[in-house]
Amino acid sequence: MSRKTGVEPITSLEDPADIDEGERDPFRGRLLAFRVVIVIILAILVRQLWWLQIVKGAEYVELADNNRFRLMSIEAPRGVIYDRNKILLVRNTPSYTISIIPADLPKDPQAVFDRLGSVLDIPPARIRELVELAPNGKRETDDFTPVLIKAGVSWDTAFTVEERHLELAGVHVQIQPVREYLDGPLTSQILGYVGHITKEQYDEYKNDEEKKYSINDRVGQTGLELTLESELRGVPGERHMEVDSTGREVDTLFVRNPVPGHNVRLTIDIALQREIARILQDKLAEIGGAATAIAMDPRNGQVLAMVSIPSYDNNIFSREITTDELNALFNDPMRPMVNHAISDVNAPGSTFKIVVASAALQEGVVTKTTKVYCPGYIYIPNPFGGLGTRMACWAWHGWEDLISGLANSCDVYFYNLGGGPPSGEWQGLGPSRMAQYAKLFGFGAKTGIDLPGEAAGTIPDEDWKRLTLGEPWYSGDTYNMAIGQGFVTVTPIQMINATVALANGGTLFKPQIVAEITDSEGKVVKSFAPEVIRHLPVNPDYLASVREGLRAGMLIGKTDNGTSYVGTSYDSEVPGLRIAGKTGTAQYGIPDEKGEMPTHGWFTAFAPVESPEIAVLVYIHKGGGKVAANLASEIFRYYFRVPEEGAR
Amino acid sequence: MREAKIWRHFDGYLLVVTLALLCYGVLMVYSATFQPDAPGVVNSFVSRQMIFAAIGLAGFFIAVTIDYRILANLANVVYALVLALLVATLVLGRVTHGAQRWIDLGLFPLQPSELAKLALIIMLARYFADHEDDMRQFRYVLLSLCLAGIPAVLTFLQPDLGSAGIMGFVWIGMAVMAGVRLLHWLILGLLAGAMSPVFWMSMHDYMKTRLEIFRDPYSDPLGAGYNVIQALTAVGSGGWIGRGFTSGTQSQLHFLRVQYADFIFSVLGEELGFVGAIVLLLLFAFLLLRCLRVAGLSSDAFGRLLAIGVFTWLIFQVFINIGMNIGLVPVTGVPLPFISYGGSSLVILITSLGILESVVMRHKKIEF
Repeated sequence: MSRKTGVEPITSLEDPADIDEGERDPFRGRLLAFRVVIVIILAILVRQLWWLQIVKGAEYVELADNNRFRLMSIEAPRGVIYDRNKILLVRNTPSYTISIIPADLPKDPQAVFDRLGSVLDIPPARIRELVELAPNGKRETDDFTPVLIKAGVSWDTAFTVEERHLELAGVHVQIQPVREYLDGPLTSQILGYVGHITKEQYDEYKNDEEKKYSINDRVGQTGLELTLESELRGVPGERHMEVDSTGREVDTLFVRNPVPGHNVRLTIDIALQREIARILQDKLAEIGGAATAIAMDPRNGQVLAMVSIPSYDNNIFSREITTDELNALFNDPMRPMVNHAISDVNAPGSTFKIVVASAALQEGVVTKTTKVYCPGYIYIPNPFGGLGTRMACWAWHGWEDLISGLANSCDVYFYNLGGGPPSGEWQGLGPSRMAQYAKLFGFGAKTGIDLPGEAAGTIPDEDWKRLTLGEPWYSGDTYNMAIGQGFVTVTPIQMINATVALANGGTLFKPQIVAEITDSEGKVVKSFAPEVIRHLPVNPDYLASVREGLRAGMLIGKTDNGTSYVGTSYDSEVPGLRIAGKTGTAQYGIPDEKGEMPTHGWFTAFAPVESPEIAVLVYIHKGGGKVAANLASEIFRYYFRVPEEGAR
Repeated sequence: MREAKIWRHFDGYLLVVTLALLCYGVLMVYSATFQPDAPGVVNSFVSRQMIFAAIGLAGFFIAVTIDYRILANLANVVYALVLALLVATLVLGRVTHGAQRWIDLGLFPLQPSELAKLALIIMLARYFADHEDDMRQFRYVLLSLCLAGIPAVLTFLQPDLGSAGIMGFVWIGMAVMAGVRLLHWLILGLLAGAMSPVFWMSMHDYMKTRLEIFRDPYSDPLGAGYNVIQALTAVGSGGWIGRGFTSGTQSQLHFLRVQYADFIFSVLGEELGFVGAIVLLLLFAFLLLRCLRVAGLSSDAFGRLLAIGVFTWLIFQVFINIGMNIGLVPVTGVPLPFISYGGSSLVILITSLGILESVVMRHKKIEF
């Protein structure tokens, strides 16, 4: 070994024999240092292991348990809905969704895409695109989150995919219960539909600790699905399970079964509903436009049928509806998603005369036999002199009393009742008393039926006009109001409800659509008695007189009082049924070139007149009361099983 | 006669502790790749790991029979070859887990950074031994640093921060052993401090993310912090004696990722607990002491430096790997010696121990 530095030779010169030992000494020191390094490094590691495993061990066990134990919610079956005769209207049906968990795909997934493409009838390139790019350019979810490939596939397809799962690695079939509305458009406006919970709904429902709503739930969005949400929804169950890092279940530890939602029986008679829809549809095919019909039991206010056309198929909400489809539905000018039976407000026209007649009798403005002469028009007295405004009747009726006035639907007779005769012989009802009685009959306020989206309509009086339109009330307004025109607007459900009150002798019910609610075993948990809003403060004899007038509306004849009538709906009489009904032909909008205004047609009726079993209302958007009456008579025929004329 | 005599100095303990570590490793690979529906079946990971161990042991005994001093002559060639391989890896390498660390040799993929560590140790050992008396001069120190720096930078560019760091530690260990002066250490320390901003800027984003995650794994619990959190949870939940072999929920339900490789210590910590971890650390401590014994007994500087190089390599690789499993060190991709699944690392490590065995067997120049 060479010595180049001047330091080392000093030691080596002193004792050449010890050179080797002298050189080893620094090595010994260094080797000792390396031993110390071992001790330090081990000490650092052991200290940290002690901290993690012994001191914090229990906390980490808990973290590990949080990783592997999962609490899964088990969806509770939603309650089903029956008609009054226990015929099923909506049930739950499994929907199959095909998705891919990218992490589970084989290394070269093209073969899987090809096979799945042929099963689902989707181009394999599209599947690859969904898996690699979805949703927008770059997949944002991690490889363990399922990518939706196709929703709402048939049972056959789902079965095929499950059967071939070995060659379709990464492809998963998920089953989700969805609503199947057996009659689709026929009941959609009553039943509504179920859809993804909105943020507002979640904020509202999340406080319901029993029902445990989650952000992924589907809840009622409209119709009875919405109003009966708390009954139809069950209590979700829970599954405690052990999962691996991909979320796949390894072991089930504990299951709490879900409690199914309550079942609902409606007052609706689906057979009647179907027949009414058919009758309306046949007519609409001819005249076009929209139509509504309601059938009700006058003895208890139960709704037997409620049809609104056009309608929509609520089953589309059970599959993945496209935005285009949804926009088309919402933007349809005919508004098929709206239940026109409860949310349309229109002038009632002559059907409003029921209210005016009842009020005039009760207030003593006229008696049943008071006669009024109809020359086909009247002149409204002008406070400043002169002839005043001419108000036309729709015909020259001659002498009229209450019965023939109702049967002929004589406007002049009712002008006299509402505004008083031009001669000033007696005082008319005036706007406030007409409004008062209209409100007693339930107009101007929601009936409170268990359906969302009900409108209240308008019953005007002097204050209303001043506040709303900023105009004074003119006497012409009074005359218009007496025949159900002008500012008066009502909904079909209000109109039939008022008719029911007339028919049953003065009891105004809250229209009832839910008959009873049972649990999944059929035990009744809630039954509904008829709910009375009020008893009309009108003498039953007077109501009987009005009914007599409505009965005459179906006939041609002469009263004992010497007035004659040709009932406005005489051609809708069904022999043997003893129907009582009132037509209404309400003008609206702008007159055409011939000066004729478009009209809505109303007909509200009940039968038999002495002890009514059913009340029927028909409203057509285009046409007159006579057309509506014809349709109603077909409904009565069906209900009372009276054969068609041709068949007799 | 002479051949038979050198076997008298064969360090049996070194072989035994190596075998013990290998068995421990095979068991942990078995558990880390355990298939619950096929218990007891030796899967391909386990069988391959055993084959790698066998190849490594073959390398061990070949190294034993060869006089280690021959390596000094081969140092330049091996070193140049490894540099070429590292460059080739950068150019042609296979990308796994975001880094080019593998080069396909046709038969098997090779991780050159493992080979590079051994080649660097041989090269530095020869350099320090040749210039034993020059190491008081700073330029020799700098030259040795360059020898270590070139493969380290090439490895760092792959990017493999862990292996590059270990090369740095190996240089430090061997330079300490070679007697670099305290003054030079101070200068180098100051230089390193001055250079650290440059180093930080040259770091890949993923490395910075890992440093960030090291500070607070919960800043991205499902992304970059996921592995760290799951590893801590696994080790921590092991407690005193662990949750039982093949019964760790974190490992068996695959909350740990690549648990048979870099995170195998988490499997061990979870399933065998504090006790199992201490046993492993004691085995490593014993192995490291045997390495130092070789260094102490070596008859020449080259053998002594080889032993210190391998010692430094082992101790820092163990520290970095276990450290990242228990949250002491940022995550860098280095395997746990003898335990992690992986052929290149295993074969080269066992062969390196064979070289140390060769050193200790030949520590007396003349046998009587």
